[in-house]
Amino acid sequence: MADSAIRDTPLRAVQIEALVVMKIIKHSSQTFPTIVTGSIVGMDVNGVLQITNSFPFPTPDIPLSDNHKSNQNLAAAAPRAKGNIAYQNEMIKCLREVNVDAQNVGWYTSTSMGNFVTSCTIENQFFYQKEMNERTIALVHDVSRSSQGSLVVRAFRLSPTFMAAYKEGKFTTESLQKSGLRYQDILQELPLTIHNSHLLTALLHQLPAKPPTTELQFPPNLAALRQDPSVTQMPLAPNFDSLDLSIDPFLEKSCDLLLESIENHHTELNNHQYYQRSLAREQTKITQWQLKRKTENAARVAAKQAPLPEDEWQKLFKLPQEPSRLEIMLNSRQVEQYARQIDGFTAGVSGKMFAVKSNLLPGEAQ
Amino acid sequence: MADADSFLHLARPLGPAAVGSQPSTAPLSIVLQPQALFSILDHSLRRNQDQERVIGTLLGVRSEDGTEVEIRNCYAVPHTETAEQVEVDMDYQKQMLALHLRANPREVLVGWYATSSELNTFSALIQNFYGQQGDGTWPHPAVHLTVSTVPGQDIEARTYISAPIGVTPERAADSCLFIPVPYEIKYGDAEKSGLEMISGAKDREDRSQEILTDIESLERSIEQVLEMLERVSNYVSNVLDEETVPSSALGQFLMNALSLAPKVDPADIERDFNNHIQDVLMVAYLANTIRTQIDLSNRLATAALTMGSGDAIGGPPGAGGEGGNQKNSPENRRGKGRGQNRPQEQ
Repeated sequence: MADSAIRDTPLRAVQIEALVVMKIIKHSSQTFPTIVTGSIVGMDVNGVLQITNSFPFPTPDIPLSDNHKSNQNLAAAAPRAKGNIAYQNEMIKCLREVNVDAQNVGWYTSTSMGNFVTSCTIENQFFYQKEMNERTIALVHDVSRSSQGSLVVRAFRLSPTFMAAYKEGKFTTESLQKSGLRYQDILQELPLTIHNSHLLTALLHQLPAKPPTTELQFPPNLAALRQDPSVTQMPLAPNFDSLDLSIDPFLEKSCDLLLESIENHHTELNNHQYYQRSLAREQTKITQWQLKRKTENAARVAAKQAPLPEDEWQKLFKLPQEPSRLEIMLNSRQVEQYARQIDGFTAGVSGKMFAVKSNLLPGEAQ
Repeated sequence: MADADSFLHLARPLGPAAVGSQPSTAPLSIVLQPQALFSILDHSLRRNQDQERVIGTLLGVRSEDGTEVEIRNCYAVPHTETAEQVEVDMDYQKQMLALHLRANPREVLVGWYATSSELNTFSALIQNFYGQQGDGTWPHPAVHLTVSTVPGQDIEARTYISAPIGVTPERAADSCLFIPVPYEIKYGDAEKSGLEMISGAKDREDRSQEILTDIESLERSIEQVLEMLERVSNYVSNVLDEETVPSSALGQFLMNALSLAPKVDPADIERDFNNHIQDVLMVAYLANTIRTQIDLSNRLATAALTMGSGDAIGGPPGAGGEGGNQKNSPENRRGKGRGQNRPQEQ
């Protein structure tokens, strides 16, 4: 087999079956706003990852009286939980029997307002890329943004440089300089396409029932028009949710999230400053000690005594540990995500607003 | 599809065999969710070459009185079928059911599907298995969903429940009366965006569709609205030119739609518009400022040390780098304050 050749080509794109889209939407919207996770299976064909099926992970049973927060964390950490790995293996074994592509190619998670760049996501994906298979991806479905009209599903991987850094667990300033890792490079996004099977295409063509071939009579009155069975109630498209003019909820939510991120950033910066200060303090102590030892040695040499060792300070003083910069990096990446999201939103909404304005004030359009 | 069929539900025929263990055959209606249907079609594509049809288990929820069944999920079950006998992998079915119930504790077994519209003796046998006491859906009737997947023909879905039939218990075990019941395909608001995206690919040669950004989907919606307006205005102008037959019902409908346009003072619009556009632009501006600040902060934190890395101790340059961050943060805070006030004013 050309296995090695396949290994060498990096993943270029992700192709996701309509079935998977629907399953993920169903699973994540059922339990919204709790985060849900699940596994995806598929095949890697010449660098294009074809995702053909998915199944949800069981959420751990926790009594409702429990803290909501801990519940969320548990759900988000589900892909790495030991029980779920067994569950996943069992499920995949079963799926193989009915000719489903039984290769684990990653996991999916639901999110709200793009709030997915967390250490949990990173840990999950790291786990997948390290333990399971290097060629795995994380699908992120944004439930609250999808309800605004356009589906938001994205595919991410961890970049090799980040993987290396995370493996070592070192995110000090020094190691970051050496590797040149920036927060923009933590996640790599892969282009995503939705793919339909032939049968599904056939189904879609007949889902909103075919228009009647015979000429229709005009309805005699309004009531008849409303009850006409050939007026389809729920067509698949067009979907006018994206024409919705509500602006405030989105902006408010985004601002809140941004604030939260800034707050986090600030806390992390304070941690670093504290570290810097204590480092400086220790270092002045060390220099003082070294100076003292030097003068002492000079005195001892003058007195014809053996000099005392000068590197004893390493035992006496302990330099503080630099806090990891990982949190800051993830936070920065999250801010970037929010900012881009707001950009996209404002682009659409300002267009809609001008359209409404010129519609209501036709005279001023020119 | 079968939506247009009309249904007459007859009183249940009573089988002699199943006294006491007889599932109810009261009328019920079935709601089919698209993902279950998609999954069945996918399974049909993945059947073995020599297999005529494939079967699987349907999962879903029942309304309290049991008259409405919502099919939400399904999974495939391997089976072999020859002219004389049929074999369904019972262990697999049980194992898979347990696995599914762990992930979706609220869903229950409601029935089974087959990917051909044919009903035969084997169908009856499997139907009785699914409807039995114990592992089956008893005392509720098992739902049987057939989805025909013959190439070149319409995909036709039908739903049935069954009543026992047969004079002796042996005969009753492998025969039953399938009673057609009505069904609807329904989807929720959450699935709308997904279905729209999926159906966007239906007219394309490669059957695939890239994920659209917000602005692209807005463009598409606007184009569709324009197209509809065009059609309506064409019709209206044709009526005006006396080329088409006018319809008072349609006229009234259009009139009602037009009268929905709000009557507001231009000055009010102007003011509201300006307020909102300012908010929107302000938030966008702030978000990008914050992004730049964060980027800057990250760069300063690592860049300052590069210059000072020659220094054996490295303390003061590092502190300088953090000092740079410190300068950023009041700026951030101020930006934050404004960002917070804005949306709440509205």
